[in-house]
Amino acid sequence: MSSVSQELKDTSVASSKWLDAHYDPVANLYTFSSCIALSDLHGDGENKLVVGDLGTGVCHMKLKVYRGTGLLSESTLLDLPTGLVSFLMDLHEPRTPAIAVASGPFIYVYKNLRPYFKFTLPSLEVNPLELDVWSQAREDMIDPMTLKEMLEGLRDKAEIPLSVRSLRFLMLEPQEMESFVHLYKEQPIRRQTVITCIGTLKKNMADDDAVSCLVIGTENGDVYILDPEAFTILYKMSLPSTATLMDVTGQFDVEFRITVACRNGNIYILRRDSPKPKYCIELSSHPVGLVRMGKNVVVGCTDETLHGYTQKGKKLWTAYLPAPVTTMALMDLPTRGFQAVLVGLANCEVHMYRDKNLISTIKTPDVVTSICFGRYGREDGTLIMTTKGGGLIVKILKRTAVFDDRDSAPGPPIAQSIRLNVPKKTKLYVDQTLRERENAVAMHRAFQMDLSRLRLAAARAYVKALESSLAPMSASLTEPLKMNAVVQGLGPSFKLTLNIQNTAASRPVMNLAISFLYDESLYSMRTAFFKIPLLVPGLNYPIDTFVECLSDKGISDIIKVFVLREGKSAPLLTAHINMPVSEGLALN
Amino acid sequence: MGLFDKLAGWLGLKKKEVNVLCLGLDNSGKTTIINQLKPSNAQAQDIVPTIGFSIEKFRTSSLSFTVFDMSGQGRYRNLWEHYYKEGQAIIFVIDSGDKLRMVVAKEELDTLLNHPDIKHRRIPILFFANKMDLRDALSAVKVSQLLCLENIKDKPWHICASDAVKGEGLQEGVDWLQDQIRAMKT
Repeated sequence: MSSVSQELKDTSVASSKWLDAHYDPVANLYTFSSCIALSDLHGDGENKLVVGDLGTGVCHMKLKVYRGTGLLSESTLLDLPTGLVSFLMDLHEPRTPAIAVASGPFIYVYKNLRPYFKFTLPSLEVNPLELDVWSQAREDMIDPMTLKEMLEGLRDKAEIPLSVRSLRFLMLEPQEMESFVHLYKEQPIRRQTVITCIGTLKKNMADDDAVSCLVIGTENGDVYILDPEAFTILYKMSLPSTATLMDVTGQFDVEFRITVACRNGNIYILRRDSPKPKYCIELSSHPVGLVRMGKNVVVGCTDETLHGYTQKGKKLWTAYLPAPVTTMALMDLPTRGFQAVLVGLANCEVHMYRDKNLISTIKTPDVVTSICFGRYGREDGTLIMTTKGGGLIVKILKRTAVFDDRDSAPGPPIAQSIRLNVPKKTKLYVDQTLRERENAVAMHRAFQMDLSRLRLAAARAYVKALESSLAPMSASLTEPLKMNAVVQGLGPSFKLTLNIQNTAASRPVMNLAISFLYDESLYSMRTAFFKIPLLVPGLNYPIDTFVECLSDKGISDIIKVFVLREGKSAPLLTAHINMPVSEGLALN
Repeated sequence: MGLFDKLAGWLGLKKKEVNVLCLGLDNSGKTTIINQLKPSNAQAQDIVPTIGFSIEKFRTSSLSFTVFDMSGQGRYRNLWEHYYKEGQAIIFVIDSGDKLRMVVAKEELDTLLNHPDIKHRRIPILFFANKMDLRDALSAVKVSQLLCLENIKDKPWHICASDAVKGEGLQEGVDWLQDQIRAMKT
């Protein structure tokens, strides 16, 4: 226990947006987001937590009410709760809300935590042939085996499905049939559907404390709106499939919109004055959570995605989640004008999304199965979560907490999604592309011609350079030489080092000389002519000389170096040295 | 200060003025406590949630208190810090019956203690663990544990259990506060 609370403390320090008000890992609370509500049950300004506890799923179903950190009351439920809502049913003072618990075909309404009313769904039409068959069985005109055969025939063909009694009869072993028929044949056949989801709809005013109607979805695909006081059916709508999740907005007498996620993987949007769905959203996989945020609908799917749709069914965005969704809830803070969607994930995290941006993550010690955000006790921003292991977590949003709208999920930077302002194609561009398309062959030929000419010019220049030995590499076979030059110093005096190498395999080279050509008004050289000693193949001969820059105007020039053979006027090789600008002042 | 005022001060006729801030979460009983400390002919009959803040005055044997009774509602809590400079003492009221919001009270206390106007001042803080009459109320020791009061090392503080509706425990706290303020002044 202490280690768990320590762990909680650590995560809270990391996020530091929530205060850990309460954590009970053994609260023995097993429920889903549809069976949890916050309500000011006693009208004392202090909201209580009302939970329809599923118990083990077979027994110990309970209606539990928490106040602060403690359990206030507990009452047994007869059947599994499928939904729980808190609503104001009348205008009597004090304005204490009632609790409606849907389970099976019934809605149990509690006022002041005492049973007040039980609503039963209207029974459905029974197949007349089925009625006929059972009346024959009652009068012992047919034996159980014939009954079975006839019912099987009915099950396969009839438009109206069989009642639960007939279906159970068909599942029985032959020896059990006789007693079953004897037990039930006197009772009238009824066909009953069950409630799958429940919601509330304001009757005629949008205030927080306005009277609300109950909206229920049933197994056979109907949606009913019930009168809050008389519990009569005010309006009936049908869907192509069974509703599993529901969101209701608007007012019954003015305009309303019911968004229903169905078992066939579609979302239908129902509106006033049309008993059939107005819009349909076909999802790629089954929905597990449905939350309306302003005018948009956010749906969590089994394929670990979160989708945003407009209320007319247009898809806005998709976010990819790291783990399967367990539950979803809306986080609404009207005092701060803040809305976000809380998504409970199977990897023990709760993600908070505003549009497609992940703005915060809460780590929980266990997988969260239900989330409820709202006013609890006297604190407006309270987050209540129950876990798979039956734990209860209460967190309070810090007064100073701020959520920045930036997406905290790792991914491509925002700059990548900014559209570049590419200008439109101009008329000139279009004309040019047309011309290129029409004259492609001529243009290619012209280009090839020019390319050949360029190559020719380059080859000519190269040959000329070789012939006049303008390159720093000697091409002649008798004297293969290589030279490079290095200039050292800042000026005005520079040291010029020439490195000469004989690249022949074995023959030495003799009788060479070096001479320089330069602008004599700019530079002066101590010795402008050398004799080069015998060059042994492969060795590098450095030859130094000093150059003095005469100008202080910061100009530089080229010094040409010629390597000559005695008795020949054409140089063996030529090097051009780009002299650096003299940075020092001339001494004289 | 004129000669006459000084003389009056020596004779104990004129009392010293002290500004006190009364802080705490909403519904913790701040206004009720201040109301109880006022002379009985000036007490209000019914207490309503304070909006913004209200200024109340009362006297003890040697001091004249001016109390800034701040509203504890979340949306007004950001007003508190504007009055920290003027305050020479703080009364912090805690609802001992509200276990859930003890963390919120601790958070607000930590924010208060780390505020630059408070942090380096040695100002006395009096805690009232209020609503002791409730059945499931936490003891004053438990409250001081939950708020980590033992970590306040540089300020004199004192916690006393109180029941503001009956007025129990209030006088003890105010006496301590008076002693502290007098000790500071001399």
